[in-house]
Amino acid sequence: MILIISTCKEKLSELEFVRPIENTVKNFVTKHYEELSQEDIDSADRIILTGTALKDFDYLEHDFSWLLKTDKPVLGICAGMQIIAKEFQIPLVTFVTIGPRQVETVAENNLAKGTFNAYFLHTKTAVEGFKTLAMTNGKPCMIKHPDKEIYGCIFHPEVMNEDIIRRFVRT
Amino acid sequence: MRLGVLYSGGKDSTLALMKAKEHHEIVCLICIVSENKESFMFHTPNIDMTLLQSQAMELPLVRVTTKGEKEEELRDLRKAIEEAKRRYKIEGIVTGAVRSTYQASRIQLICHELGLWCFNPLWLKDQVELLNEVVDKKIYAIIGGIFAEPLDEKYLGAAIDKQMIEALAKIASSHHINPAGEGGEIETTVLDAPVFKKKIVIKEHEMQYANFNGVYNIIDAELVGK
Repeated sequence: MILIISTCKEKLSELEFVRPIENTVKNFVTKHYEELSQEDIDSADRIILTGTALKDFDYLEHDFSWLLKTDKPVLGICAGMQIIAKEFQIPLVTFVTIGPRQVETVAENNLAKGTFNAYFLHTKTAVEGFKTLAMTNGKPCMIKHPDKEIYGCIFHPEVMNEDIIRRFVRT
Repeated sequence: MRLGVLYSGGKDSTLALMKAKEHHEIVCLICIVSENKESFMFHTPNIDMTLLQSQAMELPLVRVTTKGEKEEELRDLRKAIEEAKRRYKIEGIVTGAVRSTYQASRIQLICHELGLWCFNPLWLKDQVELLNEVVDKKIYAIIGGIFAEPLDEKYLGAAIDKQMIEALAKIASSHHINPAGEGGEIETTVLDAPVFKKKIVIKEHEMQYANFNGVYNIIDAELVGK
């Protein structure tokens, strides 16, 4: 079972950032981070942390320290990547990217390969720490924990790269 | 949250408005009228119907005309959104964007610069599912323009109903078009919806059609009680 964790403060944003991910994976349960229990995490095979609206930063005030202890594979998308960065004490820097950009894979990994276009919608990102898997405009846009299956993806793969989500769910 | 809806008068922006209204207060409509028929962002047949539609919904309309040159129309869109922010104290924008990253990212950028929330409740929605939701939610829309083969004049002015959805889905699978017209293949005009306190009745229209390109121009229409 895939646990999809909504990071959206506004319910209306979930139609835009959560629903498309639900449409890409099968056998999922969706929970908002404020309703999340340890049991939800324990019963998941894999976990996806969604993105949210550009103006939403409430998720950065929430405690996601379970990420430090979990051995479940996690994919953090945009806000989800920022949450991972915050919990692993990787600094977030202000860097605005809005719209499609070219992404170049720089390290072999299970989720992406080669050069492709992806849709970006963020004002903050992590530029150091973890292993860089892919870059855009000279900055990391896909990262991975050095040992665990914890991935961060600052672009929105649900828009132009659904295969990344499918590969994460499958691998 | 007080929201303004980027409103073209078609099925998508009407459905987006209805979804946003379930969670927030809609305080105005924002409409861009493009004089450029090739506009990527805003060309819509029957855009003047937004005048009646805003009355039908009893919502003020911020209407800005643009010559529709690529960068200029974005400046005009920004002006319109700024005006809505100033006049109606909106905190965010709702759009009916479904697939166009071109359209969506430009609106996101303007909202970011103006400190506004941006909501796209139809984003990445399956096109046939979207059409079904339009009909299920009792949005009465007609086809106001067709711009792709094999759509011909018999579609002009026809209602989007279950039968039409079936026909469009069939065409979409045999030709490379989007059944809900996201690629600009079809433009629609909404004449009635549950958010309308009155409905629009067409009194006079004209049709222009040639080579799978055509419009159903509403020349005269009025609001009547429901």
